[in-house]
This record gives sequence, structure tokens and C-alpha cells, in this order.
Amino acid sequence: MEEKNKSIGKAVNRIDGILKITGKATYATDYPAKNMAFAVIFKSTIAAGTITNIDTTLAEKAKGVLTVITHKNAPKLNEKGGIRGGALLQSPEILFYGQNIGVVVAETFEQATHAAHLIKVDYQKKEGKTDFEKLAPSAATPKGKELADLVRGDAKGTLNTAAIKVEEIYETPIEHHHPMEPHSTIAVWEDDKVILYNGSQIINGAQTAAAETLNLKPEQVRIVSPFIGGGFGSKGGQWANLILTAVAAKAISRPVKLALTRQQMFNSVGLRQQNIQKISLGATKEGKLISLAHETTTQTAIDNEFLEPCGDCSKIMYEVPNSLISYKVAPMNIILPTYTRGPGKSTGSFALESAMDELAHKLKMDPIELRLKNEPQKDPSNGKPWSSRKTVECLKEGAKAFGWEKRKPTPGTNKIGDDLIGYGVACGTYPARQRDSSAIVKLTKSGANVLATVEIAASDLGTGTNTILAQTAADGLGISLEYITVKLGDSNLPPAAGSVGSVGAASFANAVNDACTKITDELLVKSGKQFFVRPTAYQLMVSENISEFQTRVDAKAPKEADQYSAHSFNANFAEVRVNALTGMVKVTRFLAVTGAGKILNPKTARSQIIGGNIWGIGMALSEESVIDPRWGNFATRSFGDYHVPSNLDVGKLDAMFINEDDKIPNKMGVKGIGEVGIVGVAAAIANAIFNATGKRIRKLPTTPDKLI
Amino acid sequence: MRPFKYTSTNSTSDATNLLVKNPNAHFLAGGTNLIDLMKEDVERPDELIDLTRLDLTSVSAITTGLNNGGVTIGAVGKNTDAANHQLIRQNFPLLTKAILAGASAQIRNMATNGGNLLQRTRCSYFYDTAMPCNKRSPGTGCAAKEGINRMHAIFGWSEDCVAVYPSDMAIALSALDANVKVMQADGKIRSIPIQDFHRLPGNHPEKDNNLNRGDLITSIEIPKNKFAAHSAYVKVRDRNSYAFALVSVAAGLELDGNKIVSAHISMGGVAHKPWRALKSEAFLKGKAATTANFKAAAEAEMVDAKTLSHNKFKVDLGKNTIVSALEIALRGTDSKA
Repeated sequence: MEEKNKSIGKAVNRIDGILKITGKATYATDYPAKNMAFAVIFKSTIAAGTITNIDTTLAEKAKGVLTVITHKNAPKLNEKGGIRGGALLQSPEILFYGQNIGVVVAETFEQATHAAHLIKVDYQKKEGKTDFEKLAPSAATPKGKELADLVRGDAKGTLNTAAIKVEEIYETPIEHHHPMEPHSTIAVWEDDKVILYNGSQIINGAQTAAAETLNLKPEQVRIVSPFIGGGFGSKGGQWANLILTAVAAKAISRPVKLALTRQQMFNSVGLRQQNIQKISLGATKEGKLISLAHETTTQTAIDNEFLEPCGDCSKIMYEVPNSLISYKVAPMNIILPTYTRGPGKSTGSFALESAMDELAHKLKMDPIELRLKNEPQKDPSNGKPWSSRKTVECLKEGAKAFGWEKRKPTPGTNKIGDDLIGYGVACGTYPARQRDSSAIVKLTKSGANVLATVEIAASDLGTGTNTILAQTAADGLGISLEYITVKLGDSNLPPAAGSVGSVGAASFANAVNDACTKITDELLVKSGKQFFVRPTAYQLMVSENISEFQTRVDAKAPKEADQYSAHSFNANFAEVRVNALTGMVKVTRFLAVTGAGKILNPKTARSQIIGGNIWGIGMALSEESVIDPRWGNFATRSFGDYHVPSNLDVGKLDAMFINEDDKIPNKMGVKGIGEVGIVGVAAAIANAIFNATGKRIRKLPTTPDKLI
Repeated sequence: MRPFKYTSTNSTSDATNLLVKNPNAHFLAGGTNLIDLMKEDVERPDELIDLTRLDLTSVSAITTGLNNGGVTIGAVGKNTDAANHQLIRQNFPLLTKAILAGASAQIRNMATNGGNLLQRTRCSYFYDTAMPCNKRSPGTGCAAKEGINRMHAIFGWSEDCVAVYPSDMAIALSALDANVKVMQADGKIRSIPIQDFHRLPGNHPEKDNNLNRGDLITSIEIPKNKFAAHSAYVKVRDRNSYAFALVSVAAGLELDGNKIVSAHISMGGVAHKPWRALKSEAFLKGKAATTANFKAAAEAEMVDAKTLSHNKFKVDLGKNTIVSALEIALRGTDSKA
């Protein structure tokens, strides 16, 4: 097909945009079910101990209440079935504050909520591990092998010999995902099978985890999730609320709807853990790195280990002969931490890229020049060649577009009225991978047209997966976009990877593309003809007058991908204004320049990147979940306390993509952009704040009190 | 939310009678705070008496009596309408600025002027029924005093309560010496100066203000003043919109050339009520409007601050915010912050 007729690479509007803005897109709680009842979870008010008594008498008598389920009457579930964070009502033991301890099911949501207030719980309290600052010094080596110390050369020894050193500690707080759609489920049983309408980033993962936990076979569980109102990692794994909805529906033999409240989201669906990161950089006077150590101390749940890999960026960003990446972890009475946008990379890059800025300042060197000086020609962590790496282009083209030359190198010297102005830069990266996914393409001739349906158990977080798969099919089949139907978000469809870890676009689009290639091949065989120019599936359907045809592929990543190191890379540029009197910061301009392989749709891609940037602004300036160690509860417990960025916090955002033609990670050359958009953002802003004020922020978020 | 009865009336006397009849009844106006508190099980009324049909929505000029030249603002008028009313924008722009610094456009469209005065603290321990809180459940203790108290008071707090009062509008009303007009249960009208309307917590933090049961706010009156050309509201917060103040300052200057005839300064985010910075005001009276004097005035007020474990920053921030507000006021109301 001629390039100009192709859909891929064009800024196509979302094919489901109209459905969304007219409210017709069906999110988890939007499915009608006859005779639906409503469930409300209630939660522990201690962080550690045992329930000695749970009095549900009043609640059971309250108007409209159908049943109350607690550990005393809950069915036996498989706690190792793959549901994250436990809290499945299997025992009276309390492991964290806000643990689920029961479910009220009633005719209405209001009745269930009211009845939940009438439940009395007695506890035997234990001393909880709730104070991270106190626990951090005794944090231990993680159990997970992938987080074992990574040692190249002698980072500590060479640091002592370095002409210029930076040794600093960078701290990031607990953050919460808070997608716009809180986690919600409708469960409908039909005999021994259950349909779970539930926002799920990994459709087949949700199906397997639900089945195993409920002691069912996977084919007894169907996950339906065509639209997701955001997830950011919190809907990657599934949590107890999914299972408890199914349990409640089974208990009353009626469909049940269960939606978490915003307040409950703080203790129900994971979090990004608090990190203390020590970075030690040693460099020559000329700015060549000779030593890099990135030592992370973090927290996890008391009964389960999850760590975000904060040292990942430091493994590969710079050419440095001596390197140490290490982790220590303190188990605590908190809900299990989980994947959170740019896991490890967003927080890790804050530490590394702030330290690089500090090093540049000590060297009196432009921070871009410092990065260019330490650009690695191959992956320093494993010696593999890059599949492609466009950090240099990101930095250089970004600097030009942003007007970096206007930056004043001496901090605190760019002032307008009471406002101090500063520029900052920081780089980021995220791996590019394709994961196994299957897809079916079905063609139906309809008059002069050919209609195509693509089926794949992919998920669309709201990022535009539907749209890019339609574009892929349009080009792969030679059929225009309006005749393509994408069916995703249903475990009855061919199994696929998840919308997690930036693997979605590469995995799904390659599966669909392979299916289009295969169906065209099969139609060619069916035609029994030879062609000089390979015809499209559309042309074959028409010329051979075939009424219906379909095929399926099981797509895998190219084998040779393993021999390369494949990642997206970016450079972030921030301009901030800091009020010298009040310490309030505004990010007036932000530019992210990304080399992320083939960009399937520049419009949805831009939205992805600036969405990541906005969360990065929140991370840099305002988002923080604070535990009161006396109880182990969150003192920040609503959107009034947990400050996601508002419109006024977000200045002019811009996203640029560096052209990359890299077919090594996958045939379509897609690297993925979901995660990388947040990586490096907080550091770029913190570095801009330093340039504006001369104050180095090493503990996020940068609230006004830290700048006065 | 607990079940409740809903009643509506267009008569002020009916409203107060209904309230007095049922000790568990609560007035409902915009509901932007009350409904949240009911959802959280903090407020548990079994009857809501809706006031939004009362004929108390207008904003009008006062043309007689002591407050001639001032303005009267209906209690159940919306915050948005008050902020944008021509009389307010022209004569009391400080109030416009303060109202628009609060909440979000959607909330201001619902919230009423009288209701704004009756906002309850946003102390997260007050909202969390699992936590001790003397304001919510007298006698249970104050979780915030030794807890996460970054947002909390530095003036006027007691052992029983360190919460702050959250309104922005009231901070401006305090600087403007407004009066709150109240209809009592017996039908009589009384006028409460804004400085006496809210309380310090003392031993009764459960009482936010000096209203008696059955009192109904009918209007807010602002007397004439000479601050319109030189006033400012500076609100320092954790994000640029939709966040409560760490510290806010409402300032009005009456100038004679560069001499300060009179300065009114009130602070938010620092106490259980709008905190009138009387020491700053006294210092500035008759002095030149200079940065040095602004700094000294701020110093004079903040010297009495008593901080908690997490809010020590509020002393310096308070000083800077007073200076910032005075500088902006001096430059002129319409100048940019």
C-alpha cells in the first residue's frame, strides 16, 4: 500500500471517542443485570492483630440487607490463586490497616453502606510495623533473585579516587494510582460459571487469578472489560474486591455490583512504595563517569514481597566502568505495593537524574553536555548492542525546540518580579518488549465492501488500543478504518498479553498484523493464482468473491530480539516559575522528546506521553500518601488530601517523537510509550527548581514549605 | 449514609421551627460539605431542612444606616454569584479574590454564602470516624496534636484541638469587618461581628462558632471601606487550585500617598477561625508602605506562633505570605501576583 493511504502513523481520532463522550462506552459497572444487588466492603481499623469478635447483628437486621459475609462465613478460597494483596476474608488475622474484613450485600448501595456502619468489631491489637523511617535502617536483602546486587567493577573503591563526587540520598513518598474509574465489578453467575465485568489490564491474567482463587477452572470464569477508566498498574494484577463480588453474588444467587469508594482505594489496590535511594557518582574532572552506585531502601507488605526496580535506569543510562545496584526492603503492615506507572524507572530516574544534575553543577558543565559525554555505545549492564537508542537526538533536538540556550547556568539569576525561573533536563528509559498474543481476523463480504472483525483478548486502558488495532488491521487488510471492528477486553477472545509494562501496543499490534498477513497468504492460496503485485485481503475477497473467511495466529517476539538491548529513551525539558516568597511552583512549560520506535498514532501517543508528564508533575510537586505510624492508617485519605495535579498546575505541554525504524524488538518496530512518559519527569522539574532557586530538592513532593 | 428525612420550605420561620422541633435535624444549603460529612458518617442528621428555596439570595447595596455604602449578601446565594457581582467586584474585590481562590468552579456554583461560613475543618482525623477527635466525638482526644499536623494551627489552638478553619471567603470577610445577620429561633434578628462569629477551640472544639440552635444566617453585611484599590488575597497551597490553604492572607490597605492610613490583615490556615493579624495592623498604622515595614509587621504577628511537630514552616511561610499580600495590595488590586 502506498504510504499516503496508510492508516498507521496517522493522527487518527479514537474510534471509540464518540461512545465515550456520549456515555455509551460500557465500563465495568455499566452493565445491566436483572435483580442486581449491591455490595459494600468494610475494613479493619487496626494495622496488625486479630479480630476477636465481629458483631453483624444490627447490620443483618437493617433494611434491605441480604447478607453479611465475614471470615466466619466466607467460602474457602485459594489464597495462592494469584489475587494480589490477600484480604480475602479467610482468617481473623489483620495484616494492614484498611484490610477487607467483610462485605455487606443489600438491595441498594445506600442500604449496604449504612449497614456497614452498624458493624462492631473487636480486635486484639499487636504492635504493627508502620513507621518506615524507623524500619528502614534494619531493611534486609530482598528474597527475589532478580533484585540481587548487581556488581560491575568496584563502584565503592573507585568512588574514593574520583576527582568529583556526588553522594546524596533521594526520597520519594508513597503514591497511589487513583484511576478515574475506581475498581469495580459486576458478578453474574450462570450455574457453575461466572461472568465478571471488571476493568482488567491483563484479561487472561484476571481470568486465571479469579478461577484459581475461586477454585474454578479458567473456562468457568469470563472476564469482560472492553473499556477501562485507567489503571496505571493497579488493574494489572487483580485484588480481593473482584473475588468478593463473585463470592457475594454466589451467596445470594443474584448478580452483585461492588464498586470501591475513592477513600477505599487507598487501602485496596496497591500503591507505589516509599523509597530511599542513595546515589553515589564519581567522575573525572572532564566529566567522565567512573563510578555509579544506586542503593535503594524500600518497603513491602508484611507477608509478601514486591519491589519496584529503582536501579533499572542506572543499569543502562550511562557508560560507567564501575557500578553497583542494590536493594534493601523492610516488610511493613501495609497493603502490598504494586506496579505503578513507570515502576522503578520514574522514581529511580528522579534519583539518578537529579544526581547527574548535581554532578553537572559541581563540574560547572551544562547538564546536557555531561549526559552526551557519558553516552554508552552498547548496553553497559550486559554488553549487548542497542536495538536503537536515540538519547543523543532526544537531548539535542529537544534542547533546540525548547530554547535551552536561554537557560541561565547560575541558579537563582533568572527573575521576573517575585518569580524565579528555571530550566531543567532529565533523561528516561523503559524496556521495549513483545509478549505472546493471539488474534483472529474475520472477513465478511458485504456488497462491494469487505467488513473485518479483529478479535483479541487485549485491553484498552483508555489509551487508544482499540484505535491502533483498527489502524493496524486497516493497513494489513487494505480495508478502510470504518469497516473494521475491534473486539477486545473479553476472555472468550484469543488470549493476549496485558496493557502493562509498555508491552501492549507491540504485542497486540504485531498479533493483529501477523493475522492480517496470514489471512492474506491463505486467501492467495485459496485463489490458486499468481500475482505480480501482492494483492490485499480486501482485493482477494472481492476478486475471488469469497463471502466469509477467517484465520488465527499465535504471535511471538522475534527470536533474535534477545540478542539486543531494546528500550525506549527520552529527554525531558522543564521550565518552572517559583514564587520566591510563597514557594509555590508552576511548571510553565514541559517538553518530552521520545524515541520509542514506530509511533502507530501520533495523536493517541501524544496523549499517552503528556498524560505521563502530568503524573510526573504530580510526583514532583504534590502527590504524597502519608501514614500515621501510630495506627498505620493513611492520614491522607481523600482527593482533598492527596493532590493530583489540577489544570492550573499544568502549563504548556509538548511531546516530540524522534523517528526510529527499529524492527529488532518486533516486526512492526513498536517500542511502547505507556510507561516512558513519566520517566525522568520529576527529575527534570526538580532540576529546573534548582536552576530557578539554587535549592536542591531531594525529597518529593516539592510542596511550598520546602522552598521557603 | 444513614437514612434521613428531607424537608423543604420557603419560609425562614418554618425553617427555624422545624429545626428546633427535631434535635437531630440539620439545615441543608449547598450541601458541598455536609453531604460529604454524612457520607463519611461524621454528621448523622435524621432530617435535612433545605434552605435553598428561601428568598435570601440577593446581593444589594446598603443605602441607609450605619453600613451605608456597604453591601448585603444573601445567605443562600451562591458563592459564584457573590464573587462575580458587580457591587462586590467594584467595591470589595478582596472578597471576589478570596471566594475564587476556594474550592473549584463546580463547588462554588453549589456552595452558598452562609454555608461557606459554616464549613467544618478538613482535618483528616475529624473525617475518619475510626480516629479520636474531640471535635467529632468530644472527650475522645485529639489525634492531630501528636499526629500528621502539617496543615494544622499555629495560633489559638488548645490541648483539645489543633484544627484549622478552611474557608477562604471568611478570611476576606474578617479583613473587611463583615457582620453576620442571624434570625434567632424566637424570630428576633441579631448581628454578629465576623471576628466573634467563629470560636477558638478551647475546651469545646465541637463548637465551631457562636450560633445557637435554631439560629439561621440570613445575610452577610460588609460595611463601606477604602480598601478597594489596594487589596490582595494570597493563598499558599500544595497545588495551584482546589487545595486548602497552608497559609492564606487577606490584606487591604488604605493609603495616603505612601503612608498607610489603615491596614486590615486576616490569615487563613493558621487557626480555628480567621486570624486577624492585629499586631501587624497596629505596626503598620501611620507608617510608610515599604517592604521593610511589611516585613517588620509580619514579624510582629508571627512572633506569637506556636507550632506543632509538622507545621514549623508556617511561621516563615506566614511572614512571607503577609509580605507578599501587602506588596501586591500596594501595587494595586488588579496587579498580578
